[in-house]
Amino acid sequence: MNKWKKKQPATTKTFKRPTLAGDGFGGRAGFFLSRALTNIRQNVFVNVVTVGTITLALLIVSLFLLVFVNLESAAENWSERVQVTVYFDKDLTIQDQSTFREKISMLPGVSHVSYVTRDEAFKRFKNRLKGQETLLDGVRSEVLPTSFEIALKRSYRDTVSVENFVTVLKRIPGITEVQYGEEWVRRFNSFLNFMRLLGGLLGGFLVIAVIFIVSNTIKLTIYSRRDELEVMALVGATSFFIKAPFLLEGLIQGMVGAILSVVLLFGLYEGFLHNAGSFLTFNPVTSGLSFLPLEYVAGLLLAGALLGFIGSLTSLKRFISV
Amino acid sequence: MIQLHNVSLAYQQDASALNNIDLKIGKGEFVFLTGPSGAGKTSLLRLLYGALAPNRGQVLIDGQNITRLSVSQIPLLRRSIGVVFQDFKLLQNRTVFENVAITLEVLGWGRADIGKKTMHILKQMGIESKYNLVTQRLSGGEQQRVALARALVNDPKILLADEPTGNLDDANKNQILNIFKEANIRGTTVVVATHDRRLIEQSYKRLVTLNKGEIVEQVEKETASDDQDL
Repeated sequence: MNKWKKKQPATTKTFKRPTLAGDGFGGRAGFFLSRALTNIRQNVFVNVVTVGTITLALLIVSLFLLVFVNLESAAENWSERVQVTVYFDKDLTIQDQSTFREKISMLPGVSHVSYVTRDEAFKRFKNRLKGQETLLDGVRSEVLPTSFEIALKRSYRDTVSVENFVTVLKRIPGITEVQYGEEWVRRFNSFLNFMRLLGGLLGGFLVIAVIFIVSNTIKLTIYSRRDELEVMALVGATSFFIKAPFLLEGLIQGMVGAILSVVLLFGLYEGFLHNAGSFLTFNPVTSGLSFLPLEYVAGLLLAGALLGFIGSLTSLKRFISV
Repeated sequence: MIQLHNVSLAYQQDASALNNIDLKIGKGEFVFLTGPSGAGKTSLLRLLYGALAPNRGQVLIDGQNITRLSVSQIPLLRRSIGVVFQDFKLLQNRTVFENVAITLEVLGWGRADIGKKTMHILKQMGIESKYNLVTQRLSGGEQQRVALARALVNDPKILLADEPTGNLDDANKNQILNIFKEANIRGTTVVVATHDRRLIEQSYKRLVTLNKGEIVEQVEKETASDDQDL
């Protein structure tokens, strides 16, 4: 016998958990899921209340989002009107036109440049005075200036960027008279900023209120089942084993709540679209209203699932000490 | 199997629940803990399954000082201990089967094995025909047997019972006592806290009397002739 053989250390008794078949999260995921579904079946009323609360809470948030998204898109449309016009008191030759067009297009922030001839300007003027065209009797197009109309990219439509653009534009030799409706741009942008701030504040408060309401509802549902948590802990269930089905239950509740809220919102939206024409001064079908974009819907579903999961997690902390 | 060295426990600073407790319970022993209400019987049992930690002293279960166990190790200790509570602690909206099977589910047993083992223990307790009833429909004696089945279904090394016959009639008391004795014969160390003198005198082997948180008397019977009534 090899007397140099390493001596085995004396085994110390510890409460070591035995490895069991199907142990670990992967092996037990099916068990936890079936447990969560059984729990839902056995506590139908409590689950209906929780899902209902999550549905209503998310419906309020998504309704707010829908209004906000549509206002944003309306603002986006209005901001198309932010444009800079360069006036010339003479007709430009084709060569001059292309030289100016090239120089202007090279400036940062320009999305589109178009040349307006005297005739085009006169036609527009006439259109604007529809019904009173006689006022223009004897007036010829030569009295009007020619111009370049410059549309700006989305990110260059705020007051400061427009002013900077105009300053750079004026440096181009030959350009002297530039108009861009300073007052309108300023008002429009301050309205946009106010709307965003208000939206952010309201949305923030709404989200906090929703988290508070949902987490308290889940807390109540878990409180009503504290006996179960206690018994499981007393028969030797680990904290994870106790929590996992409840967390899955929260996740399912959140997802179902989110799906229901999106379905309800869509129903409300469709109902509004087809019935609001009778009591509103505009027709909502042709007004360019749109439902939430797909990424917002996905975000809502994710938010619902997270809400249920985190609500359960924070509530469980209070009732499980093991 | 169970050793308490100089254990003291106080819920509040000036009111001690247990004071300098020294107690050794060997493997396979059947011990009655007795004493008036407030003597510290329940507190002592709660120390043994890790629901409480002593302010001073050591509690050793199977050689392991459980006062030093981490929170994650406590569940593992509890898997080797069956506990029967004074108020049963059954899940009222669950069936008898589900209440008992929960112990095996926690241990990670397979579905088929859980079914077999649970029905086997329910048969031993004489309540196999009620397996599908929710526990709130059962009588006190039947509920007690469900609680016992839940505690014994995984053949624990230690069985702790707190006033297990509190609200039962004599016939039920004897049946419950016989279940304890059978478990003890199979090698389970049994500790029963009770102040039912008749139950104790009828069958005790070792009796530990507590009063005001201290052990005031320990009596041991030399022979175990009472096993005949099994």
